[in-house]
Amino acid sequence: MGPYHAIMVHFPVALWTVASGIIFFRALSDGPLARAFDRVLVSLLVIGVVTGVLSYVLGLLVWPPDTLQTTPLGRNHMIAASWSLCSWAAVLFLRWRVGERVWAGVVNRLIMVGLGALGAGQLAATGTLGGHLHGAPAYLSELMRVFGWDVYHTFYLPTWVLLSLAVVIVAMPALAIVTTRGHAAPMQRQDAGK
Amino acid sequence: MLHRRTAMIVVAALFTAALLLSLFTHSTGVVHNDPARNIWIPPELTMPVKLQVAYNDARIFFHYRWPARQPHVLTDLLRYSHGKWQRQLRTPIGSDPDGIYEDRLAMMVDDGSVPEFQRYGGYITVGANMRDFTGSGPDAAHRRKYLPATRRDPNDWYSIVDQATLDAQRRAGYFLDLWHWRAHLSNPLGRSDDQHIAWYRLYDSGEPMFVSNWDADSGQPRWMFDPDRAGVRALRWEDVAGGHRDVSRPYYLSAATAVPFDATHEWREGDVMPGQVLREPSGSRDEIRVQGEGRWADGYWDVTLVRALDTGHPLEDKVLRDQGVYSIALSVHRDARASRWHYVSLPLQLGLGRQAELMATRFTGDTPDWSRVDARELTLFYPGQVSWKHLSSARHAGSKYIAKGVPVKYRHKETQLAQYGVEMEFDREIRRQWALSLVAGVLLVASFVFSVSLLLGRRED
Repeated sequence: MGPYHAIMVHFPVALWTVASGIIFFRALSDGPLARAFDRVLVSLLVIGVVTGVLSYVLGLLVWPPDTLQTTPLGRNHMIAASWSLCSWAAVLFLRWRVGERVWAGVVNRLIMVGLGALGAGQLAATGTLGGHLHGAPAYLSELMRVFGWDVYHTFYLPTWVLLSLAVVIVAMPALAIVTTRGHAAPMQRQDAGK
Repeated sequence: MLHRRTAMIVVAALFTAALLLSLFTHSTGVVHNDPARNIWIPPELTMPVKLQVAYNDARIFFHYRWPARQPHVLTDLLRYSHGKWQRQLRTPIGSDPDGIYEDRLAMMVDDGSVPEFQRYGGYITVGANMRDFTGSGPDAAHRRKYLPATRRDPNDWYSIVDQATLDAQRRAGYFLDLWHWRAHLSNPLGRSDDQHIAWYRLYDSGEPMFVSNWDADSGQPRWMFDPDRAGVRALRWEDVAGGHRDVSRPYYLSAATAVPFDATHEWREGDVMPGQVLREPSGSRDEIRVQGEGRWADGYWDVTLVRALDTGHPLEDKVLRDQGVYSIALSVHRDARASRWHYVSLPLQLGLGRQAELMATRFTGDTPDWSRVDARELTLFYPGQVSWKHLSSARHAGSKYIAKGVPVKYRHKETQLAQYGVEMEFDREIRRQWALSLVAGVLLVASFVFSVSLLLGRRED
């Protein structure tokens, strides 16, 4: 399945790369061109996620699971691919659910830029690791080393960090729910008073 | 009650902090020394060795230079403790806590008769369930290096082929020559031990260069220092613990200078005697000499080994010829480590007057002028617990390349192999943490985006 995986990944790589460009452009500009690009963002991301899922599944079939998960490069490729797919699916969800409000205000734009950068970074890491696995290492791995990730070390987190992440994973939506309910209650009382 | 914008900033800050925490702490928290599982990870995973090679019509010279914080020149001690002599011989897990294990340098040599060796080096000699591997069991001491074709099943140490086949393999050159310089057991004699690897790691024929000083029947040494020559009958534990050496005292016993052990002497707590007595070797065992003196100075060992191109023992030594290309691989034990806790090199092509990765310099005269000989700096690495069984199995993603004969150097660098070796020792733990991390990362992103979408509201809101 290796060759088919290599062919298929071109689609999400291209689409997500374009999507990250649109996000950065739209975050900086309210002009008609930026708005026009933004209007196709959801469509691009949908196709990107669908082809990304296909690429991911094909990638899982290149080696037996035990083989892929025994090599640090294989593990890293798999974790980066999982996170890339998740990040871009998350961007799709956010842009689709919230609409153009994602561009309202500096904070919202920074969040979109942050997610776009995260997705682009993960995408670059995934591609670099795929190249290593394929026997064509790129110098991008040296750049990744500068940023603190040696691709020959399996990316895993110590238990205490996993527990910290669990707290953050629960705390973020809890905070959002409390905040939105707090805002919704006065509005409901206001509606009831009418 | 938080304002939505403030809540958004807090959520974004939490997410960013979680990402940064992950980036700064990744790949930690699992790898640690675990003597109960025979696991000990060297602080430095790689080390350099400078190599120069020169030859004349009759002999070949290898000059090695490698860093070592201090020389470790003692090994296998007998110690008087609690009123009796005790043998200290043990294989330490990692560095010996008392610093008692000799420095060693070994070099495997092949002439192409072991074709896998030039592609994969010493990995081919590491079978399954070798001694000092995790879970190898208490009966593993004899499970040492061998060549794959000496077994009916290369992954079964005990499936040795019949003697006639072993003999035929030997005549066909299916063995690796093993030069083995030892800071205690060979260097004082100006020798390197001479071994070879075939169905086992074997000594070359001839008289050995050391014999045991331990008399198991009487539970005491056989020989001791001559007090008239050495000034002492024995060493003192406090002088040698930590690998230190009192330069004013001898550190080895040799048959030429030792005297029979005096059991009537009033031995003191902490008296120490070398566990081996050095003696002049003979035959094929006596072919590799140290040129000058193998010595440690200023943090480096400098050792030059010299041997006849053709020793006249073609079933134990590889015959080297002008215009020949050979494969070599080095290993170094330092910092009082033994067994598998060494550094190894990838195989290196050596050409005698012929283009290769390292070209030996031809010279005339008795000794080479090293300032005119090309030097090559090799990177040696800690190999961890990686066996030939694993490398050639489907679990290794590169096994299909091995089946095609692709050399290890084409796919891996030394630093990478060192890291892989370490991770292999913690495969189960790392894989579990990795899987949890994968899921945690997915949930973190999902949680963040879900939270942001809640705070921003639906587009029709």
